[in-house]
Amino acid sequence: MNKGSSITRRLITAVLLLEGLAAVLLIVAVIVNEHQDEYSAFDANLRASANAFLGAVQEAEDSSPNIGLDLRRIPRTPHAIYQVTDGEGHILGTEGPVPQLTIEPDSFRRVKIHGHSYRFFALDGERVVDPGTPSAVVHQVHILYGQPDGRVWHEIWEATRFFMVATAILLGVTAVLLVWMIRRLLAPIHVLASEADKVNSVHWSFTAPEVAMHLVELRPLASAIERTVNRLQSSFEQQKRFTRDAAHELKTDLAIVKSSLQLLTMKERSVEEYGKGLDIALEDFTRLEETVQQMLTLARLEQPADALAPRCALHQVLQDNVTQSASFASLKKVILTASPVTPVFVPVDARDAALLCSNLIVNALQHSPDHGMVEIALRSDGTTATLTIRDHGEGIAEEDRPHLFEPFYRGDPSRSRKSGGTGLGLSICKAICDRAGGSIEIDNHQAGGAIVTVKLPVSNPEA
Amino acid sequence: MRLLIIEDEKRLAENIAQALREAGFAVDHAADGITGAHMAVQDIFDAIILDLMLPGKSGKRVLTELRQTKSRTPVLVLTALEGKETIVDLLNSGADDYLAKPFDLGELLARVKALIRRAKGVSSTIIQVADMEIDTVRQTVKRRGQEIDLSPMEYRILQYLSYRPRAIVSKQELLEHLYDFEWEHHSNVIEAHISNLRRKLNLQGTEPLIETLRHRGYRLSEEASS
Repeated sequence: MNKGSSITRRLITAVLLLEGLAAVLLIVAVIVNEHQDEYSAFDANLRASANAFLGAVQEAEDSSPNIGLDLRRIPRTPHAIYQVTDGEGHILGTEGPVPQLTIEPDSFRRVKIHGHSYRFFALDGERVVDPGTPSAVVHQVHILYGQPDGRVWHEIWEATRFFMVATAILLGVTAVLLVWMIRRLLAPIHVLASEADKVNSVHWSFTAPEVAMHLVELRPLASAIERTVNRLQSSFEQQKRFTRDAAHELKTDLAIVKSSLQLLTMKERSVEEYGKGLDIALEDFTRLEETVQQMLTLARLEQPADALAPRCALHQVLQDNVTQSASFASLKKVILTASPVTPVFVPVDARDAALLCSNLIVNALQHSPDHGMVEIALRSDGTTATLTIRDHGEGIAEEDRPHLFEPFYRGDPSRSRKSGGTGLGLSICKAICDRAGGSIEIDNHQAGGAIVTVKLPVSNPEA
Repeated sequence: MRLLIIEDEKRLAENIAQALREAGFAVDHAADGITGAHMAVQDIFDAIILDLMLPGKSGKRVLTELRQTKSRTPVLVLTALEGKETIVDLLNSGADDYLAKPFDLGELLARVKALIRRAKGVSSTIIQVADMEIDTVRQTVKRRGQEIDLSPMEYRILQYLSYRPRAIVSKQELLEHLYDFEWEHHSNVIEAHISNLRRKLNLQGTEPLIETLRHRGYRLSEEASS
């Protein structure tokens, strides 16, 4: 199977990509959330420590109104940096490399010191010495307190690491499950394919597998295959039948020719007998030739049409054929009328049109009783030319109707080959009509007799 | 010998019929399966040549129905169909032989003759009755080594009788088996032919071969030489 066009692969890739994307987004969301939690805790801790420093600012030991920092009550935090200054800028206490910062009071700021990330908090407070006495002095105190925040990131990592590993494992497990499941889900396609694969020219039966018909997505495909196979089968059968019938027809004609000639050689005969026998053999041979000719005509008509659109004046061709058939009609004492004959051009080769007309007229004459009548009419409504040929014969039997245009089908079995014709005439007519995009139908007229209706598209005479 | 051809192709039937008539057979023709089946069941034919593709009733059905009536008339099937299955099928349906179209007219004649011989219980082409010898291929008759010149009809009567030695063959049977429907015949033609035949076969110092049994028919006796 081509790698680039595997549905399984594409599905798995698509699902895994989506899963991966979802996992990444989830992890980012978790990290953001964790980050916020950790930082608010860290900040609360900074604020508390700064407040502790504020609490540690006291009156100086001496009796001056100054203040000092009492560090004894402050818990020591490693790596902490602080600076406590009073309103006049005197440093009351400091530790660590305090950066030169101006931070709005009561706000946080991140600073890099010696390659380490620190977070600082600035707190402004007041310290009142001897409150409640007239000598009370208010001292402004600025506190800057910072701690390295690398630990926070460590905490975040610790908290989300498990989550990431779990997601990765889940992703792997679902990938395996996905492969298995998609294979299973796509199994009906394979069943369908293997069933379709069994169809060949000998074994035509195709029944869509149950599993495929259960799936809404596969049902149209399965039934399409079924229909296609059936169509193919019927056209294949038709071809096979044609070949078989053609072989039968040719063999019969050959058998006649051969036996006619062999009959002559079976014993010594007079010159007249030989002459007569040869004449008969020639006649038989002519019929074999006709059969072959008609088969070739049919084969030609069933080929795709030439690019050059043919065109002919159907009314002229029809008139010519009516005139040509007059002698045969008078022989059968049949009255042949053609009215109305509307001038109309059709996209049919002139020779094919003549073949169509003569086949239908001869057919009608053959099916006419003596002193009967054949009525021909050619009408046009501008887009469709309609040619009708009606005889007053026995009409067509209902059971023959679906087979009339089948090659070698002979309507009246008892008449068989004796009435002449190879049984290809109507097939040729149909092929001519089909080729021009028209139609041909045979019906029984209400008043008795058969009526052939040929509909052909009209082609523009100027074109 | 009288044959029936059931074949819808008129020209082919005509040719076969003519060839068979020239070979000394009486031939009837049916152009479709229904007429053919009707004619075939009358037990007057010595062999039937049957086409498979027939209008009205298929050759296979004609054959099956014929065999259902317990008829033992040999049937040679003419077929234009391909395929082993059809042949096997045909033979199983009761056909005795088949020929594929286009066939050789000479082969058809030989096969028909062989079928009739077999059906009559004779395996050789030369029939020996008492001191008389009939060559069915060359259609000649010899008695005590001496060739006897017979008319075609006389030969046919003798051949028919020789297939059924010692049995009484009625005039009706002879009429049925030696003339086809196209033949203008009268019941006394047989008597005239028999009389001629008897005269020609009766050489000096021999017993008469053909016996006449009043109102019953004719018999070819084998003890004539004794």
